[in-house]
Amino acid sequence: MNIATGDGYLESLLQGQPALPASPIAWLNGLRADAVDRVGALTVPTTRDEEWRFTDISPLTGMRFQPARSASPLDAARIDGFVLAEAGARLTFVDGVYAPQLSYNKAGIVVENLAAGVGKHAAEIERHLGSHAGFQDNVFAALNTAFLHDGALIVVPRGVTVAAPVHLLFVSTQSEAASYPRCLVVAEPGSAVTVVEDFVALQDAAYLTNAVSEIALLDNSSVRHVRVQRENGAAIHIANCAVSLAHASRYQSVSVALGARISRYNLNVLQAAEGAECAIDGLALIADRQLADSHTCIDHAQPHGVSRQLHKCIVDGAAHAVFNGKIMVRPGAQRTDSSQSSRNLLLTGKARVDTKPQLEIFADDVKCAHGATVGQLDAEEVFYLRSRGLSEAAARNLLTYAFGAEIIDRIPVATLKRRLEQIVLAQTNR
Amino acid sequence: MSTVLQNLVNQPYKHGFVTHIESDVAPKGLSEDTIRLISGKKNEPEWLLEFRLKAYRHWLTMQEPKWPNVHYPKIDFQAISYYSAPKPKNKLASMDEVDPELLRTFEKLGVPMNERAKLAGVAVDVIFDSVSVATTYKAKLAEVGIIFGSISEAVHQHPELVKQYLGTVVPVGDNYYAALNSAVFTDGSFCFIPKGVKCPMDLSTYFRINTQESGQFERTLIVAEEGASVSYLEGCTAPKFDTNQLHAAVVELIALDNADIKYSTVQNWYAGDEKGVGGIYNFVTKRGLCKGVNSRISWTQVETGSAITWKYPSCILRGENSVGEFYSVALTNHFQQADTGTKMIHLGRNTRSTIVSKGISAGHSNNSYRGLVRIAPTAAGARNYSRCDSMLIGDRCGANTFPYIQVSNQSAQVEHEASTSKIGEDQLFYFAQRGIGAEEAVSMIINGFCKDVFQQLPMEFAVEATKLLGLKLEGSVG
Repeated sequence: MNIATGDGYLESLLQGQPALPASPIAWLNGLRADAVDRVGALTVPTTRDEEWRFTDISPLTGMRFQPARSASPLDAARIDGFVLAEAGARLTFVDGVYAPQLSYNKAGIVVENLAAGVGKHAAEIERHLGSHAGFQDNVFAALNTAFLHDGALIVVPRGVTVAAPVHLLFVSTQSEAASYPRCLVVAEPGSAVTVVEDFVALQDAAYLTNAVSEIALLDNSSVRHVRVQRENGAAIHIANCAVSLAHASRYQSVSVALGARISRYNLNVLQAAEGAECAIDGLALIADRQLADSHTCIDHAQPHGVSRQLHKCIVDGAAHAVFNGKIMVRPGAQRTDSSQSSRNLLLTGKARVDTKPQLEIFADDVKCAHGATVGQLDAEEVFYLRSRGLSEAAARNLLTYAFGAEIIDRIPVATLKRRLEQIVLAQTNR
Repeated sequence: MSTVLQNLVNQPYKHGFVTHIESDVAPKGLSEDTIRLISGKKNEPEWLLEFRLKAYRHWLTMQEPKWPNVHYPKIDFQAISYYSAPKPKNKLASMDEVDPELLRTFEKLGVPMNERAKLAGVAVDVIFDSVSVATTYKAKLAEVGIIFGSISEAVHQHPELVKQYLGTVVPVGDNYYAALNSAVFTDGSFCFIPKGVKCPMDLSTYFRINTQESGQFERTLIVAEEGASVSYLEGCTAPKFDTNQLHAAVVELIALDNADIKYSTVQNWYAGDEKGVGGIYNFVTKRGLCKGVNSRISWTQVETGSAITWKYPSCILRGENSVGEFYSVALTNHFQQADTGTKMIHLGRNTRSTIVSKGISAGHSNNSYRGLVRIAPTAAGARNYSRCDSMLIGDRCGANTFPYIQVSNQSAQVEHEASTSKIGEDQLFYFAQRGIGAEEAVSMIINGFCKDVFQQLPMEFAVEATKLLGLKLEGSVG
């Protein structure tokens, strides 16, 4: 793909952007205009860009996507299969458009759509929206910001712990639609919350999801973030998530990628103050000709930070998994304790994995380790199970399931955990 | 960081002196004429001139790579003199005829030549600037059929061998600096071990850069035929200069069926002063091809010098059951930068590779490990184990790890581990408690850290390397 078509393509994606209603808030309009300018200056990345070396996004430019104009009326019954019984609040977005009839809030905290919340929580929004997920050199974040007019807003007040998870459900119902989900979570000092982002589809044709989430953790707060990407097999899913950790805050994230033809998830965690902790786990379970790419960056900018990461890929068929995990320890970030592990399971001869755990360390009093493995199921383990009377297929399925279940187990929402276990089991039994 | 640890790295460069020998220097600048001049001076055959010109024309179309994690001012390739040879003399019959000035230089460096070479049992092919001036033990090696000497001699004496293998592992257009080297290389070593011969001694060569501003572009080619084995040592020192010198070498190794090549390097070129002024730019392409079944190529390197080290000794494992190994210690101090590692390209079935890399950073230096392990779809049963450890001395230096792992065959097993550590106050205290001073303790800790690599070096080199690390770190700890 050459640059010229890339430019033209981005312009085509921007069609419909000027039709967005102007926000009553001036700085938001300004932010949008800046993002439009940035989209004009950037190009669609190619495999010549180091960040996109293994992920060929060019199929995207062969397709035309337009933002959905209005929410298609959706029966509550159709999302029954995705409902989480224990959720204290739910926001549903259909093709990127807020669907109030499918949303509720019993959580006792601020969970509402951005357009509604922008008047009441102007201070929080102005402080955080767009300030964590930069779009200077990220064309997809810039596109999302250009279309920014609604989204999910979660503000947890000081000292409040919400036990029930907040469920954000993004449903695709229209083909050739581009949706630009946006999410802002602000955890005020001492608060705790669990947020589930769930991307699902009710149709089989191609569409584009280009999501941006920003999560700000203030002092001593705690956020558990579960992200499930189960788009349909024709979809292109691109997401950026920026997390900022203040003093002694804790961020735990589990992201599971099951769907999409091409998916890319960038997770950037900035430990902006002392004593922050994060645990980031990921699972990609893909088959056929799927491509799942996960790029994470944990930036230890201040001393006494702790980070843990386990990323697993199960690659079946002719699928291709990519992982790039960067751990940065800035000068002065002493006593950082970081460990990272990338484990990959190849189930067929055509499956492919490109993994790159990466350490950049500029402080001496730190403990950093990373590891990566790529392999197939252990023949001895299979033999052991067969000696206990399991068939070859059953033994392999059980081991594959167990490999993935380690990550699923870490999801703190029981209903979701059970459902994902079913999906993994079904996938391994194919 | 204790005060003991802060003071030990600032040892002046002990090999920094300039030998005044009249040099035959080509005018600065690079053009097809320069290449014709080099080729003409060396009476090269037509095919080699074509090889050079092809490389040069390709180089003109290439861009200087920007991806490495090193920073340096733009190199003006027209400001470099591409040929410098000590004044031509009549062919020398014995060591006594060698310029005494030259001999004294090697004396200062402690190179075991003439008598000492014999005692050390090492045949040294000394490259002084770009021309090979002395080759010892040639006759003894010739008895068993081994050809060992400078590549320019080999071009005249064994043109068929050079023509057959030159540029087959590192093609002329491989990368920016390899193309430059292919165009202007002046000399280097050539080694050919015929079928079934085990080389009776370690072969070694010392490279030295002498003339100021004459970048050295050596070319080394080692071929081990079926069942042959050889251990090759390369040691480097360079005098102290203020302007940066470019060094862009190419090393090609070819191992046929059941052959075994071991290539060891101790690199201690001038690294610039404490403020980062001067020093050598060491941009090297080293690659080995395990062409035959059961062949083995092993790289061992101890990188302590150069302002910038940028090299990835690699193995292409094409033959079934072939083995690639990479053992490396890279030490950076002051403002040195190193971006080094390896590439293991698994093509054949049941190929195995091992990577052990130890990086030590001190001062304001930046040390990166960058490695690639690629398992091609054809490499069934391939196996890789990588381990890279970094040690930081001081809080202004950096240690980075960039391992690329690309696997396209499910039966492959790939493992990678990395860790970062420092010399702890408690470790030093433990040593002090047992009556061992800080300096010696640091030296012992570093040697322990690097043991896995030093064990792979031939004995004389292991001793030299151990001393070298101690020397380089003097004053950095404290």
